This record gives sequence, structure tokens and C-alpha cells, in this order.
Amino acid sequence: MNVEPRTARPTPTRPRKLLWLIIALTVLIALAFVLTPAWLIQPFRPQTPAGLSVSYTLRRWSPPLTLSAVIVVLLCAVWLWRGARWWRKGALVLALALACGLAWLARQNHFEWMFNPLARPAYARANEASFVADTDMVLAVNVNGGAAAYPVRQMAYHHVVADTVGGVPLVATY
Amino acid sequence: MWATTVRGRQLHFHLAGINNQNFIMRDEETGSWWQQVTGEAILGPLKGARLERVPHDELTFATWRREQPAGRVLRPDERVAARYESADWEARMQRVPVATTDADATAGQRTLVAGLALGGAAKAYPMNLLAAQSPVNDKLGPTPVLLVVGDDGRSVRAFDRTLDGRAAEFFRKPDAAPLRLVDAATGSEWDFTGRAVAGPLAGRQLKQLPVLLDYWFDWHAYHPDTLLYNAGAR
Repeated sequence: MNVEPRTARPTPTRPRKLLWLIIALTVLIALAFVLTPAWLIQPFRPQTPAGLSVSYTLRRWSPPLTLSAVIVVLLCAVWLWRGARWWRKGALVLALALACGLAWLARQNHFEWMFNPLARPAYARANEASFVADTDMVLAVNVNGGAAAYPVRQMAYHHVVADTVGGVPLVATY
Repeated sequence: MWATTVRGRQLHFHLAGINNQNFIMRDEETGSWWQQVTGEAILGPLKGARLERVPHDELTFATWRREQPAGRVLRPDERVAARYESADWEARMQRVPVATTDADATAGQRTLVAGLALGGAAKAYPMNLLAAQSPVNDKLGPTPVLLVVGDDGRSVRAFDRTLDGRAAEFFRKPDAAPLRLVDAATGSEWDFTGRAVAGPLAGRQLKQLPVLLDYWFDWHAYHPDTLLYNAGAR
């Protein structure tokens, strides 16, 4: 039998407990920053001006905040790693992975996952556009002699299409 | 449809969220949030700024192509074409629930209206009434207005019907295809683009007014003082 003496492992002391607490709080704050705007700005739920304002602020600050969270969790984890039991190491890895995941999410626009933007809009001549039915609705602009049409069925998906018509940079929205 | 140059700087917009079923755009350059329907920055460094509206029409493709044979049409993006709305999507949209903090029940929430906003006054014209009564000679604030539905029954345009300082009355010329309007004072004939094509006023152009095809709930949310046209409604 090989029983290690209890003193071989450092027992959790006050500073170690504090570091665990810092990790937990950091991850929770980062989670709140990333999930709150996504929850407040759900389609098919009403929004309030205050809710939008909170969402804007959280979205604005979540990239630097989540990056700081990754750094804080990493530093705490490095400090705690030596001498930690295997399941505590697992918890450290999980916390770090969660912080990294949140830092990535804070830099994503999930609305563009649902509705892919049109990276390079392409156009057809009016008489060659076989992809539009005669009865389909189009948004039509006429600027300085330039005429362009944006079929509503495409616009209802992309929602935002940038273009320049008659020399004027514009955005078609629907 | 918005011009994207703001305070001398060209902005690039992305879909960034939704506010009571009208979407929010975010510009890459400043990160400000913009309300799509009003073109106003609602949050961020450019808060309070307004995009300049580029007048646009909402027409059937057939009507547009007849008017602009040299124009160009946005191609579908093949990568996502399967996710575009199907041809019957307008009927399906009628069944999608409405989520908004604004609950006005003067008209059905998903009633399709042609919205006209002019110098602080706003009025919504239900499309079914317009289609039955076109052309509609009306007044919004001090401005005499004319609403016309095209031959396809779905394209709609609005005009200021002031001619030489007086409000002209327009009627539909019976059995004319494409449609022709006749003004009561001179008997001149006008086409769907608002141009006089025959008669004493031939060559004159009515001033077009921006119309927004929208659902009543959305129009009302952003124009809370809007009037609702209901002449002849049952």
C-alpha cells in the first residue's frame, strides 16, 4: 500500500479559495455581458428603450471585458494548477474554455448567422433577370439616371444590401 | 433606402438586432445603432444623427421592368437561395405573431398599409381600400396628395397633386392599359410615373412623395400620431 502523507498536497488555504472565487465571479460577469443582450434582443419579443440601451452598452464593452476575463482566469489557473487535484484541474480547464468561448461570442454577430450578409452583391440586366417573377415585388431606386431593383424576397432575407447607384453610395434595407 | 454618407464619412451597415420587429443596423465605422425604419441613430457615438432618405418605389417586377428596361436587378446569392422567402411568403407573414410594446387596434395589426409621412403629419392607407378606389385624391396636412395603384394592383405611388398653385383632381381614364389618369381641370392624361403624356399639360411631372408599404402595427409604432384613411371602409 502506498499512502501518501497528507502533507504532500497543499490544503486549500485562504488565498487559493479567493482565487477560485475570482474565477467564478469573472466567468459569471462575462456570461452576463454576453447573454443579456442576446436575451433582451430576441425576435418576437417586445423591446424597450432601456433594454436596448443596456444591450448596446453590454455589446459595446463585451469584447474587451471578455478578453480581460480570459486573462484573469488564465492567471488564476496558472497559480492554482500546481498541486491541484485532477478534478480541480478539470474545473480550471473548463473555466478557461468557457471564458475563451465567451470572448469569441462577444466578437460574433449572431443576427448575421441567421441572415447572411451579401458580401459581393451581383446584378443582372432587367431583361435577363429570369430569377424574379413578374408579380414579385421589388424595391426600386432611380438616382442620377441609374436604376436598380432589389427583389423583396431576397431583401427579406439579407435585410441590408450596400450599393452605389448613380454615383451615390446607399444602403437598401427591408 | 438610405444614403450612407454621414457627416462626410461613408458608413457600412450590418444587421445588428431587432427593436419591436423593426431591425437595428450597426455601422462598422463608429459602432452606432440605427433604426431601419426611421434612419435615425438611436445609440452610440452618432446618436441623434439621421440618414438621408433616397426615395424609392415598391413595385412589381413587371411594372419596374417596363419603366426601367436598362436597369439592373440584384441577383440571388446561390449559397443562401434556399433560405429566401418563398413566393407565398406574404400570406404566411399574415400568420406570424406580432410582438410589440405598442398595441393599437384601430386596424388589424397585419393590415398592409401604404404610409405617407409629410412635414410631421402621417397617414396610413390600407392597400385593399387603395386597390379598390385608386386613384385616391386626399389631403395630408396642407398638402393635396394623390395615391395611385398600378395596373398590377400592388404597386403604389403617391404624388403632390398641386398644379400651378391649385389642388388638381384626378380620375382614372376608363379601359386604358397601361393606366392613364385624367386631371379634371385640363383633361390632360398622366401615367403611373406622374408624368403628363397627352393634353395641354403634356411633359409636366407631378412631385412624387415617398410611400412606405408596411404593416399597420409597425407604421403606428413609428408614427404614433398617424391618421388612418378609412373612407369607404366597411
